Amino acid sequence: MSESTIRSTTRTPRIALIGNPNVGKSTIFNQLTGLNQKIGNYPGVTVDKKTGWMNYEGSTYEILDLPGTYSLYPNSEDEIIAHRVLNHIDKSKRPDYVLMVIDSCQLSRGLFLATQLIDLGVQLAIVLNMADLATKKNIEIRNYEIYKSLGVPILSTDARGIKGLEQIKSLIHDKNFSVDSSYLNIGDIIPQSLLQPIKEKFGLMNDYRAYQMLRFGPKDRSIDPEDRLWIQSLITSEGFDLESAQLEETSLRYRKITALVETCVVKKEVKKPASVMDKVFLHPFWGYAIFIGILLLIFQTIFTWASVPMDLIDGLFAEISGWVNDTLPAGPLTSLLAEGIVPGIGGVVIFIPQIAMLFGFLAILEDTGYMSRVVFLMDRWMRPFGLHGKSIVPLVSGVACAIPGVMAARNIGNWKEKIITILVTPLMSCSARLPVYVILIGLTVPDVNYGFINLQALTLLALYVLGIIGVLVTALALKWILKSEEKSFLMVELPTYRTPRWKDVLLTMYNKSRTFVMEAGKVILAISVVLWVLASYGPPSRMDEIRKAGEERLANAPEEQHDEIQSETSSLLLENSFIGIMGRGIEPVIKPLGYDWKIGIALITSFAAREVFVSTIATIYSIGADVEDELTIRQKLDQQINPATGEKVFNRATAFSLMVFYVFAMQCMSTLAVVYRETKGWKWPLIQTVYMTALAYFAALLTYNIFS
Amino acid sequence: MHITADTMTASRSAIIKEIAASPLKINLMELGFLPGKTITLNHAAPMGGPMAFLMDETLLALRKSEAALIEVQLL
Repeated sequence: MSESTIRSTTRTPRIALIGNPNVGKSTIFNQLTGLNQKIGNYPGVTVDKKTGWMNYEGSTYEILDLPGTYSLYPNSEDEIIAHRVLNHIDKSKRPDYVLMVIDSCQLSRGLFLATQLIDLGVQLAIVLNMADLATKKNIEIRNYEIYKSLGVPILSTDARGIKGLEQIKSLIHDKNFSVDSSYLNIGDIIPQSLLQPIKEKFGLMNDYRAYQMLRFGPKDRSIDPEDRLWIQSLITSEGFDLESAQLEETSLRYRKITALVETCVVKKEVKKPASVMDKVFLHPFWGYAIFIGILLLIFQTIFTWASVPMDLIDGLFAEISGWVNDTLPAGPLTSLLAEGIVPGIGGVVIFIPQIAMLFGFLAILEDTGYMSRVVFLMDRWMRPFGLHGKSIVPLVSGVACAIPGVMAARNIGNWKEKIITILVTPLMSCSARLPVYVILIGLTVPDVNYGFINLQALTLLALYVLGIIGVLVTALALKWILKSEEKSFLMVELPTYRTPRWKDVLLTMYNKSRTFVMEAGKVILAISVVLWVLASYGPPSRMDEIRKAGEERLANAPEEQHDEIQSETSSLLLENSFIGIMGRGIEPVIKPLGYDWKIGIALITSFAAREVFVSTIATIYSIGADVEDELTIRQKLDQQINPATGEKVFNRATAFSLMVFYVFAMQCMSTLAVVYRETKGWKWPLIQTVYMTALAYFAALLTYNIFS
Repeated sequence: MHITADTMTASRSAIIKEIAASPLKINLMELGFLPGKTITLNHAAPMGGPMAFLMDETLLALRKSEAALIEVQLL
């Protein structure tokens, strides 16, 4: 008891987890922390660092999962984070211990980073992961030899097994980390006349830290500009070539490691032929055919599988709404609940199946190692558009949601390619557009089959293709507009194929859905309620007048006309509500696109998030109508008749024009916020909003004129 | 007589002699492209797309222009 009290008063020990990409680091992180982790993909929550908590034998440890990196040289945004945390430039996340994960089959590359960590003087321990794979490949590693040379604890394990995990946990619990004297003497490469002043100015004890500050400090924006200038002038006054020093450091380090690996690794295997799977997946023809096939399969699966839980959710919330209306006493509070809050929550929950499935598929593609094959296949075709092979990951993620897509763009090291990727990713049709598409397609495209092809599915595919065309054309335009001197490079590892770790996949699905519900869901629910209020209330005198006139008409009319009069009255009420006034305000602008003021309202509100279009439309059309008949949204919309023309509101031309508008329009303030965050300013998000809205307007105008 | 890795044909192996000076030299070295290492061209994407080299049992993809920085001796 007393012991745990003492522990709880001291700060939780923080362990940074670091390693090369594809070494199973995320699996270790997930296994150690389980669901006890904080991952943010939305504005306000940091995406830079994945943090989790491990509980072991009554103690709690904070685990910081650093992005995968090959070295401490900050080449990309991901690597900058590892660089800052470990060099204590980011003081808020200063780790007490560092746990380095190395792929047993890739010892030298792992040791390259590990020895850099030793040189930084951190409390280090090394996990040689995937030991089972090394055994299978006939690679024998003599851990003791490595330990003798490096002086830090080394553990061989397979983190996928329970035993391996237990070993890692107890290593952390026993604080079995240690600091060793530097591996490489950086003083041999850099003169003390440069290192000493840096050490004094920044209070650094260690040569390698001073060297890192010297080499990368001047370019690090998180360092005081005056200090940066000071470092730069020091380098200039000494006239030292740091770039060749870095090359020399790399050569020396690798030479030393190669010698070490020769003494501690016994390899019995000779030559490995090219993987049979890669012969197919990277085939100049079949590789692409398979990639397209996989994409189609994903969309088809989501379209068919997700519709089952979605229909259930739709029906369930209609039921709840009806039940609330029946059970609770009539009044404004009941209406708020039945017509505002319940459909609002339903509008959030209905996306969970799609989001979970899409992120599940993406996680599988990533985890099996297939995603980097896609980068390999696509680089050649992305480059002419000013994009990078890695842009395919944000773009494909953009099919689920532009927000993680924009964030995934930080993996792209080149500024210009990254900006272009960020600017065009929201043009990919995201899952939030899917409900808009599905409802409008369901309304206006007949559900018929031509052989294998379903006309509705074909229309949906056409919308996705339209988005892709938008991406390519815009990227091409941006390639000519934006200027950059920076050199672009590919250099990506194609990891060994493996079966996905289902636990990791499930965790990704859970985390993404949770983040969506918590972050986007709040916005959607709040807007649904605000909307209901705006739609239910208006200037009091006007609203009273309409109500009174309606009652008078009812009293004087025969029974069979009552329904019609009631619906006319509610239509009038809505038209005169606050929101009706707003919608009418923009009607002249959107009329050429075939939209009425009700659609105008939905356009206004769905700038918050596209899916709000559906809940807005649902709210607008269910207000005043009988909630009890539990009609689904689609059926309700099909009944809407334009009072002026007597035709359906959602005719083919209007529906197509709307779909095209949603293909191109920004209509998502979460994306806007995330672009602001990733580009560190309002310049790019504003440019993006303006160009996307303009594109959407003119494309919708064209569409309406073609179909009407 | 300079032979660079981008001219290698499928399944050929070569020993790295030198990495040409370039801003990308450090990135190549960091991945382990160092003089003395043996590389094998396993795959090449069509139309001058990236090339995948096997080195130390890892498959690493490089653009053709990046492979051109690696001077090799064919085996």
